[in-house]
Amino acid sequence: MNENDFAQFSVLTIAILLIAFYGGTYLLTLLIRKKEEDTSGFMVAGHRVGFGMGAASMTATWIWAASFYAAATSGYTYGVSGPIHYGLWGALMILFIYPFGRRFRELAPNGHTLGELIHARHGSSSQLILAGSNILGSTISLMVNFTAAGALVSVLSPLSFQTGVIVAGVGVLSYTVTSGFRASVFTDFAQLVALMAITVIIIPAVLFSVGGPSVMVDGLQNLTAEQADFFSIDAILNQGAPFFVAVLAYAIGNQTISQRLFAVREKHIKRTFVTATLGYGAIVIGLGMIGLMALTVGIEPVNGNMNNLIPQMVSAYLPSAFVALFFVLVIGALSSTADSDLSALSTIMMADIYGKNIAKDNPDPKKMLLVGRITMIVATAAGLIFASFALDILVMLVFVGALWGAIVFPVIISCFWDRVSNAAFTWSVVVAMALFCVARFELLEMTGVTVLFFEVLASVGGAVVFGLMAFGFFGRTVGFLVGAIAGGLMLFYATGFLRDYMVLTASLTAYGASTVVCTVMTLFSNERFDFDLIKQRVGNYDDVADEEDETTMIPEGVRS
Amino acid sequence: MSEMVYGAYILVWPTLTLGVLAVICGAVIKDAVQARNSDTDMV
Repeated sequence: MNENDFAQFSVLTIAILLIAFYGGTYLLTLLIRKKEEDTSGFMVAGHRVGFGMGAASMTATWIWAASFYAAATSGYTYGVSGPIHYGLWGALMILFIYPFGRRFRELAPNGHTLGELIHARHGSSSQLILAGSNILGSTISLMVNFTAAGALVSVLSPLSFQTGVIVAGVGVLSYTVTSGFRASVFTDFAQLVALMAITVIIIPAVLFSVGGPSVMVDGLQNLTAEQADFFSIDAILNQGAPFFVAVLAYAIGNQTISQRLFAVREKHIKRTFVTATLGYGAIVIGLGMIGLMALTVGIEPVNGNMNNLIPQMVSAYLPSAFVALFFVLVIGALSSTADSDLSALSTIMMADIYGKNIAKDNPDPKKMLLVGRITMIVATAAGLIFASFALDILVMLVFVGALWGAIVFPVIISCFWDRVSNAAFTWSVVVAMALFCVARFELLEMTGVTVLFFEVLASVGGAVVFGLMAFGFFGRTVGFLVGAIAGGLMLFYATGFLRDYMVLTASLTAYGASTVVCTVMTLFSNERFDFDLIKQRVGNYDDVADEEDETTMIPEGVRS
Repeated sequence: MSEMVYGAYILVWPTLTLGVLAVICGAVIKDAVQARNSDTDMV
């Protein structure tokens, strides 16, 4: 133990663990390396990922370094229901996107990004709004994961924060850059098996080392009435509601999810995403229970830092071998997410930026692969620099979250309603972001009619969240019905109440404003879009090159 | 909350994790055998 109450590894031990992890992962990718990669394989593994690999990859990607720390913090802060309110809504992000994913896949069976689909539907401005939000999200995720690696290495060994950041960045890049998404999926499976095995061992080990359920039940007196209540209003409003609002936004805003929707075999999408939902929920809620156990036995987090809870509990009650397992658990989680972010960023640059906007649908596949690999190198360098300087990204996070909320309705409705125009999509997002900023930063005095206006917009936003979720699973009629009931209840209960929760109000305003503007502009539109055009416009880039090669081989006189 | 309920509330999650792990590994093994028989790549 060191002065921080953590088990402390020597430089040699931590070096062996890191070399074993990243070296082993790199060796794994040699098994699938090809002499010549094609763009479809590099971006979506040729749309042929099976159920098992797909479910493992989706689960491992969605579990990042913050998942464990935040779930444990939620358990420690909100008590019995805390881990559920963190893990359940994160899991539902995976579940609620798959019905829409099947529609995306039906419209663009050869797609690589959601941006390509929106480009085919609306053109560049709408596509670049979506691609831009994806790029911001993945860059932030990269930075946060590299930061977590630095923090973990510096806490558990004499090595510096910067050393941990650099090792993680170089390690992830080394095994991803050659085979792209194929390497990401293949290594995700191995990383998830390790992650799940460690989870299965660590949770019961902590429980019984602390003294078992009897000691825990005796310690329940340490909980406040709110913490002991499974239906705690405090937990619902402060932890559950903000996450619930973000369910569809995070799923739409993440290329890591849409990439897997396009990569998994179409017939396996449902069971892949349902299995990933269960896997994510079980792991994250389970590890969140360590926070609840810490609260129950009266542990105080070192330096008041909640991120210390899990390493503290593992160090205090288990042999140091378990701390090494915890180290591998976190490194595996952050690496599986970071490699997916690198694949997502490279695919966006390859397909959305180079393929659609620079090469204008006539790309050179070799140049395209080069763009992808250079993107990975630049993104890793950017992630390392941002992480090393420990930049305060709170404002950027707030902005990206709102942008994702603002695009949910226009993106989804564009795939079902043939009258939605490019102008309706673009202006709805612009107006929603402007109104979000007014509400979030209280640029106007939030009293009287002004605050009532935002509460009504937020109520519409709440109705949209519930309505879209129901629409995905049960169709238009049920979606409208659920949305109308939710909207009515929100207007009745939320007006006069939401003004005390302006952060939540602002988030819901982004949904509500984009929905109102998009719907009104669409109703005035005479456009009728033929959805079959998307299939023609979103194709395989390797086929384009193959067709050209074949064309050049035909003698000139034979051409008609 | 009784000991049994508390213990079950904590241990149901690693149990579910183990179940999902078994399903995923089973599916991957099945895919690997199919890929080998048809001489194709898994990813």
